[in-house]
Amino acid sequence: MEFQAIHDRLKAQGAPGLLGFDEPRPANKKEKDPGRAGMPFVTVDHTQLVEFLRVCRDDDKLALDILVDLTASDPSADSEELWILIQLLSLKHRHRLAIKAPLPKAAATVASATAIYRAAQWHERECAEMYGITFEGNPDPRHILLPDDWEGYPLRKDYEFPREYHGISCE
Amino acid sequence: MGLLEEAFEENVLTTKVDWLINWARLNSIWPMTFGLACCAIEMMAVGAAHHDLDRFGAGAFRASPRQADLMIVAGTVNFKMGERVKRLYDQMPHPKYVIAMGACATGGGPYYKYGYTVMKGVDRIIPVDVYIAGCPPRPEALLEGLMKLQEKIKRTPVIRRPARTA
Amino acid sequence: MTDTVGKSEVEQTPQDYKPSIRPEEQRTLPSGEKEFFFDVTTSDLEVNMGPQHPATHGVMRVLIRCDGELVTGAQAHLGYLHRCAEKIGENVEWLQYLPYTDRYDYLASMNNNLGYSLAVEALMPELEIPRRATLLRTICAELNRIASHLVAIGTYGLDIGAFTPFLYAFREREWIQALFEKICGARLTYSYIRIGGVFNDAPPGWLQEVGHFCDVFEEKWKEYHDLLAVNHVFVMRTANVGVIPKEMAIDFGLTGPMLRGSGVDFDLRRDMPYMAYGEAHEAGAFDVPLGEGKKGALGDCWDRFYVRMLEMKECIKLVRWCLEVIEDGPIIGDVPKVLKVPAGEAYVGIENPRGELGHYVHSDGGKVAVRCRVRGPSFVNLAVVEELMPGSLLADSVAIIGSTDIVIGETDR
Repeated sequence: MEFQAIHDRLKAQGAPGLLGFDEPRPANKKEKDPGRAGMPFVTVDHTQLVEFLRVCRDDDKLALDILVDLTASDPSADSEELWILIQLLSLKHRHRLAIKAPLPKAAATVASATAIYRAAQWHERECAEMYGITFEGNPDPRHILLPDDWEGYPLRKDYEFPREYHGISCE
Repeated sequence: MGLLEEAFEENVLTTKVDWLINWARLNSIWPMTFGLACCAIEMMAVGAAHHDLDRFGAGAFRASPRQADLMIVAGTVNFKMGERVKRLYDQMPHPKYVIAMGACATGGGPYYKYGYTVMKGVDRIIPVDVYIAGCPPRPEALLEGLMKLQEKIKRTPVIRRPARTA
Repeated sequence: MTDTVGKSEVEQTPQDYKPSIRPEEQRTLPSGEKEFFFDVTTSDLEVNMGPQHPATHGVMRVLIRCDGELVTGAQAHLGYLHRCAEKIGENVEWLQYLPYTDRYDYLASMNNNLGYSLAVEALMPELEIPRRATLLRTICAELNRIASHLVAIGTYGLDIGAFTPFLYAFREREWIQALFEKICGARLTYSYIRIGGVFNDAPPGWLQEVGHFCDVFEEKWKEYHDLLAVNHVFVMRTANVGVIPKEMAIDFGLTGPMLRGSGVDFDLRRDMPYMAYGEAHEAGAFDVPLGEGKKGALGDCWDRFYVRMLEMKECIKLVRWCLEVIEDGPIIGDVPKVLKVPAGEAYVGIENPRGELGHYVHSDGGKVAVRCRVRGPSFVNLAVVEELMPGSLLADSVAIIGSTDIVIGETDR
C-alpha cells in the first residue's frame, strides 16, 4: 500500500493519537520553501503511542507486524522537543510505515511499547540511556550499551564530552 | 625464573643460558584469544591456513589468560571493556607480553575525536611491547609485529644482570 | 559489577524447612538396598560467559544462571564495544562517515557502505547512479555476503568443536579478500561503495577472475556441506536446539536468516527490491532459501545454519547474472566535492547477511548530518537469545549464540 493509503486507513480505523503526516515535497521558490526530501511519515501524539501501535499491528489491511526500529532524535540544541522515531514493516503486504512522536525535552516520558512488540525492549533501553527518555513499563530499564555509572545523555545535542572516567583520561 | 632472575653477572655462560631461555620463549609464545573488533578477524586470518601463525610456534591460542603468554589486543578498547582488560592482564603469569594491534588499540583509532567511551589507546591501562599500525593491519603486519616481539625477547636479560651505564 | 540474574528460590535453610522426600518414601533399589539421600538444598549457579570468551563472537557477556547443566536464566550484557558511531555521525561530514560504516558489521563492510549510501542517496533523488556502478555494487555486496557467511559457518563449526571447516572456509575467504584488495585496496574495511556509485573501476581481468571464483566455489560448497552440514555430530548438536517458532521470530523483530530459518518467507532483496535486485529476481537470478525443519523442528539452529549455506549458492547465481549483464560505463554519479545533502529525513533498509540493516539519516541541508541512526540487525537478533537459552543445556547456549551469527561491532555500534 502506498503511504497515503496507509494514512487513510489509519484515519478510517480511528487510530488514537494520529496528528497528521508529512510527505516529501520539492523546493518551491515562489513560497520560499526549501522543500523536503526523503520519506513520508505520520506524526503521532506521544501519550497515545502504544494504542496507535496496537492498531497498526492488529489491523489486517495494515498488518505492520515487525518493529524494525525504535529510536529517538534530538533535532537541535535549542529545540524543546525530542522525537521518537519508529519504523514498522509488514511481511504480508510488504510496506513500511514511519512514525514520529515528538516529546517535550523537559518531561520525556512515554509508555513502553514492549507489550505490543517484544523487539521494543532493547531499543527502548538504548533510547533511554542515550537521550534520557523514560519508558514506563519496560521490564528491564538498565543501561545496555553504556557503562552502568555513565553520567549524561550522550546523544543529546548539548552533551559535554567527559574529561575522565575512573581516573583514565578521556583526552 | 624467580630466585635466579638477574642474579648473575654477565659472562659467557650466563649469556648462553639466557640465549637458550629466550630461544625457548620466543618460539613458543602462546597468545590469548582476545579479539575485540575488526582486527580480530585479521587475527583469525593469521591463525588460519594461508598466513599460518603456527609456524612461529604461536598458533596455540589459549582461552584462559592464566595459560597464555601474549595478549594481542586486537580492536577498540572502551572504558567498559578496559576494566576487564586490566583484570585479564593481571591474571596472566610472568613473563607476559602485549601487542597493541591496530590503530584503535594504539591510540584510539578512527574513534579518537568523538568517541566518548573509547579509550585512546590500550597503553593507558597496560604496558604495551609492540604497536602495530593499520586499520586493520594486514596479516603480514601482525606477523612482522610478532617477529619484532621475538627480537625484543631475544635481547631480554633473564638470569644475567643487565649492564649498568654508570 | 556483580549483577545477579535473580535470587533463587531457596537461599538458605529456614527454620521451618521440611525435607521434600520423607524417609517413608524411600524406595528399594534393584540391588536390594534402600535408597539413601541427603537432605540438601541447592541454589542455582551463576556462570559468566564473559566478555573474553572464545565462543561469544566478540566481546559480549552472557550471565547464565544454571541448575547443573540446565540453564534456568540468561541475561545478555552488551556495550563492551560501544564506539559511539551515532554520535560520530552527527559530527563528521557525509563522506567522512563512510569508513565508520565499514566498522560496525566488519564482516560485511560492503553492505554497510551500501546501506549508508542508499540512505543518503534517498535524500538526493535527482542524483543518477550509473548502471555499471549499480552492478559493481551488487557484485561486491554479494561476494561480501559469501565471505560473511563463510566466517559464520567456519566459526560456528569452531564453537561446536570442529576445527577443520574453519580452515577451509578461510581458504575461500582469502580468495574473496584478494579480489576485494584488487578492486579497492583493502582486505576488510573497504569504504568502496560511496555516495553516488563506487569509487574505483574494476581493473582489467577482475571480472573474469570473479567468474572463475564462482566456478570453483561451487565445488568447495560441496566440501563444506559434506564436512559440516550433514556431519552426524554437528546435526546432533544443532538440531532441535534453540527452536524459534514463527510468532516469536516476528514478535522479536528478527530479520534475515534468523527469520527465514523459521520458515517465514521474506527477503528484502526480493520483496522490497532496491538497486538491481528486482530486475535480477525477474530474470530468475536468485531464489530465497527457507528453513524446512529437515533435521529437527522448524526453526532450530541447524535450519538457520543451512539457510546460510544455501544463501551462499544463491549469491553465486546472482554474481553470475551480474557478470552477464554488466557493461562499460561511468562508475560514479555527479557528486560535488563538498557534499551538502538536501534537507529531509530518510530511512532505507537493506538485506545485510545478518538481517535488515537500516540507516535513518536526517539532514538539514548542511555538510554534517543531524542524526545518523544505524539499525543493526545483530542488536535485534540478539534479544531472542535471552528467551531461547532458559530450558536448554549449558553446552547448547554456545550453539544458540553461534546460530544468531552476531557481530558485536553491529550490536554495540
